[in-house]
Amino acid sequence: MSRKLTVVLLAMLVLVGAMSLKTVVVTHGDGSVILANGGAPLPPIPWKNGGAPLPPIPWNSSKAPQQPTPGK
Amino acid sequence: MLGPYQYIVWLICTLLEAVVLVCAFKKNAFRRYLLLNVYMAASVVMSIARYDILTHYGYASKEYLYFYFYSDFLLTIALFFALTSLYSHIFAEMEVGRYIRTGAVVLLSGTAVFSYAVVQQSNSRLLTHFVVEISQNLYFVGLVLTYVLWAAVLKLRETRSRLIQLILSMGVYFSMFAANYALMNLYQNRAAVFEYLTPLFGCFLPLAWAYTFWHVPEEARTVPSRLAVVPR
Repeated sequence: MSRKLTVVLLAMLVLVGAMSLKTVVVTHGDGSVILANGGAPLPPIPWKNGGAPLPPIPWNSSKAPQQPTPGK
Repeated sequence: MLGPYQYIVWLICTLLEAVVLVCAFKKNAFRRYLLLNVYMAASVVMSIARYDILTHYGYASKEYLYFYFYSDFLLTIALFFALTSLYSHIFAEMEVGRYIRTGAVVLLSGTAVFSYAVVQQSNSRLLTHFVVEISQNLYFVGLVLTYVLWAAVLKLRETRSRLIQLILSMGVYFSMFAANYALMNLYQNRAAVFEYLTPLFGCFLPLAWAYTFWHVPEEARTVPSRLAVVPR
């Protein structure tokens, strides 16, 4: 039992180490991916800056057509 | 748009992967290093399939994008198990194969859970983001595992040259990509240089393995522990 727990502990330590290393490497990344299997060219990535949807840009609202005022 | 350079490097890389299989088969190392050869065979098949999809749908198509990342996910898992098989070779005398398998499954599951935790907030293309995230995370897990394995080689005074060379080439391969990625982010204004450099790195592993299978016999022995000797 203790041997199995040691194996689990070692696996978790490796995982923590790997994720820490990844954090260090990609800290200043631009969202590009690190993939390395074969020589095939990496396709252009549409979600290069993360997967979150683009928020509405507030300074563009001035150009939007104004809603008709009911009183007029 | 892809230029002739990308196609040539891709072709060379695929040919080298096929050469690894031929060398392993000729030198009777195919079954001994089965998972390594399975990874190389899968790489060849995926390269051909990627080329087929690229020519049918185009470089910027969704089909190529999805196929690239999903096939890369499968290849990374194959590489992970190939690396695990090297652990089995190193620790063969200690009869801990069962624990290595358990550790590999725990590590793979842990990486999957971690990757899911990272991407779960993404409401669109969740599965694709998960596939890309887990591929990258497994990549770094592989990097750490290779260094741990190298430490085990030194500690156990492993002497099998072929095995040592396979492990070292894997360590260099993983490190090259990690360093390349870090430098790429550091010098973003020189992206053109890395655009040419990165595909070349993909050729290193098949080249090193082909050389190892062809030139280093199974009986050859070296003493890597000498590298770690510190003068008193």
